[in-house]
Amino acid sequence: MTDPQRPFSGDLTRRRFLQGSALAGVSAFLAACGTAGQSGGAATSTAAAGESAAPAASAGAGGTPAAGGTLRFANWLGYMDVTEDGSSYPTIEKFQDETGITVEYGDGAVDDNETFFTADLQAPLEAGQPTAWDLIVVTDWMVARLIRLGWVDAIDTSLTPNFVANLAENYKGRSFDPDTNLAAPWQSGMTGLGYDKAITGDQDSIEVLFSDEFKGKLTYLSEMRDTIGLAAIRLGFSPEELTQEQFDASLADVDKAVKDGVVRQVVGNSYVEDMAGGGVVLAIAWSGDVLTLLVPDQTPEQDFQWALPKEGGMLWTDNMVLPKGSQNKAQAERWIDFYYDPVNAATIEAYVNYVCPVAGARDVMLETDAELANNPLIFPPDEWVARLHQFRATTAEEEQAWSEAFTKAMGL
Amino acid sequence: MRRTLLFRNAAPYLLLLPGLLWLVVFYVYPAFQMFLTSLYTGNLDTGYTQTWNWGIYGESITEYWPWLFRSIVYGGLATILAFALGFPLAYAIAFRGGAYKNVLLFLVIAPFFTSFLLRTISWKIILADNGLVLGPLKDLGLLPEEFRLLATPAAVIAGITYNFLPFMTLPLYVSLERIDRRLIEAAEDLYAGPWRPQGTIIGTVLGGVLGLVVGLVMDYGPFSLSIPFAIIGALVGTWLIGQAFIRVTLPLALPGIFAGSLLTFIPAVGDFVNAELLGNPQSLMIGNVIQARYLQVTDYPTASALSFILMLAILIGLFLYARLIGTEELTGASI
Repeated sequence: MTDPQRPFSGDLTRRRFLQGSALAGVSAFLAACGTAGQSGGAATSTAAAGESAAPAASAGAGGTPAAGGTLRFANWLGYMDVTEDGSSYPTIEKFQDETGITVEYGDGAVDDNETFFTADLQAPLEAGQPTAWDLIVVTDWMVARLIRLGWVDAIDTSLTPNFVANLAENYKGRSFDPDTNLAAPWQSGMTGLGYDKAITGDQDSIEVLFSDEFKGKLTYLSEMRDTIGLAAIRLGFSPEELTQEQFDASLADVDKAVKDGVVRQVVGNSYVEDMAGGGVVLAIAWSGDVLTLLVPDQTPEQDFQWALPKEGGMLWTDNMVLPKGSQNKAQAERWIDFYYDPVNAATIEAYVNYVCPVAGARDVMLETDAELANNPLIFPPDEWVARLHQFRATTAEEEQAWSEAFTKAMGL
Repeated sequence: MRRTLLFRNAAPYLLLLPGLLWLVVFYVYPAFQMFLTSLYTGNLDTGYTQTWNWGIYGESITEYWPWLFRSIVYGGLATILAFALGFPLAYAIAFRGGAYKNVLLFLVIAPFFTSFLLRTISWKIILADNGLVLGPLKDLGLLPEEFRLLATPAAVIAGITYNFLPFMTLPLYVSLERIDRRLIEAAEDLYAGPWRPQGTIIGTVLGGVLGLVVGLVMDYGPFSLSIPFAIIGALVGTWLIGQAFIRVTLPLALPGIFAGSLLTFIPAVGDFVNAELLGNPQSLMIGNVIQARYLQVTDYPTASALSFILMLAILIGLFLYARLIGTEELTGASI
């Protein structure tokens, strides 16, 4: 399934792995320079052509879709299809050709939510200034925080008919975005059980994460919403409506497991290497990692699997958001509309291998790559979707108090 | 004529200027900002206001002294271990390196050509539960199947020791290299012989105590390591260390020991990468706490206060250490 050409290490820093990783910063910088420099020459000519063509293009839709200009797009590493030699992004090229908009793509500009917030967003937005980006991809809870702070511009949905038509149902009206016009899902992932079947046998219950059965050989995730989410589901709570008491009860179980040494480490993405090295046989794991990271590292004695627990699992989403006051809002909206064309989403999905939020992308992919289209980790079947929970938006006080309580339980 | 004199008088200050400016812009100003931040109250949504909340220092110490204490213990142990490894290394290069001195020195610095992060990650592969080191030992039945090095305090201390070993070795090398060999010959002419029996006794005691502390901190029990460490100490004290070394080489190496231990200890106490990658929830250090407070909890005042407390604790330790070794002796020895 996995393309052997694919640099699987690219996903290493996609989720919070190590904050302030200088390495990722450098590669992101190089990648950003690469696209901008390489597309720069072509862009000036297409941009000129695009501006004159703009009125014609707007005829169909309600508003005026942008043409020409620039789009500065900050995204996570490994989140865009790229040619084998890594020199260009075919889907971005296609967008540039169609719209005349020059994309300055920050591949890996978002290294993790917290660092990106602190380094790229906080200072300018606090001062009421635009950021260096027109479109950013951040995780649900960070979207909620930005919305709460009033640092997000609404998407003009009249300019994004594809987004309105093709957003999968379970993403509509999320608690932090009731009108579905502030955040456009980019990719989702599921949080469930990752395990080495050769040692643990089949696993399908969250219960095993809190038992002594694999003491010292299992890891939790350092993302509060993933770990607490699973703990809450195990206790029969709904992460969508978690109360303070329910949070406390869930946290107490996590705290106990960590204190008793059941949990070996509380980690970001690095459980992957620990599983490959044999020290960890069971982990709270992200669905995409099993597809892209664990399989190539597998030895003959290992058999890495991912399961959505029977009690349920977490669904998290990285969303495209318009940071307040960007000069190129229309260009960003044009990209959102472009991405929500199932053909384009399917092209990106074939590379990215996370859960696709665009309805219709599966139908497109059935024709090009049926095996991928039938993979439940990319297009979860309805019975899976029914078991997936999304962590609710938190108030400012909750956000701080809960993350403080959670980091304490992690040993900090 | 007059102008030349003026310039000559001003020259030292002019030479200081770039460095001073650099420190003011990148150290003094941020440190001052951090100090102001530590006295703010508020949160992300309401904003932060200056309330001169001095109480935060007391609160932070009461709440986080175990992490501070742990960091100082880990950093201290890593410094001692780096010295135990680095001194023989520097000595061998300086006194027996011969034509290979430069090659050997290059090998000491070579790890710096790889990123700090990558070096630490590669330790995870080397120390993996069934990896290069532990796999064969377990296959031979020398270690129990559940034994692990990763995600233990031992791995954190070992990782810090490894990562900062060149900082210890290089200053030691410089001070050892400068020693006039004729002084040692003179000592030997004056009947400086082997250091027995004091060497045996002191070696055994020092080795035993170090083993005891390392064993306790690394969770291997008080006596598991003290016996082998005591034996090594006895052997070293009996056969490797002579009176000439104690009376000539060691005092002359003091400036290197002083510089090397500071260069190792200060970054080691504040390190968070080794604890995050190689440790477990019971072995996290103050650097991890500060990072989590700053980035995850967005509690900037506490993060700033803790940074300040750490800085202060290190400064006080430094002062005591300088007093202990004695700055006069340092300058005296270097002449």
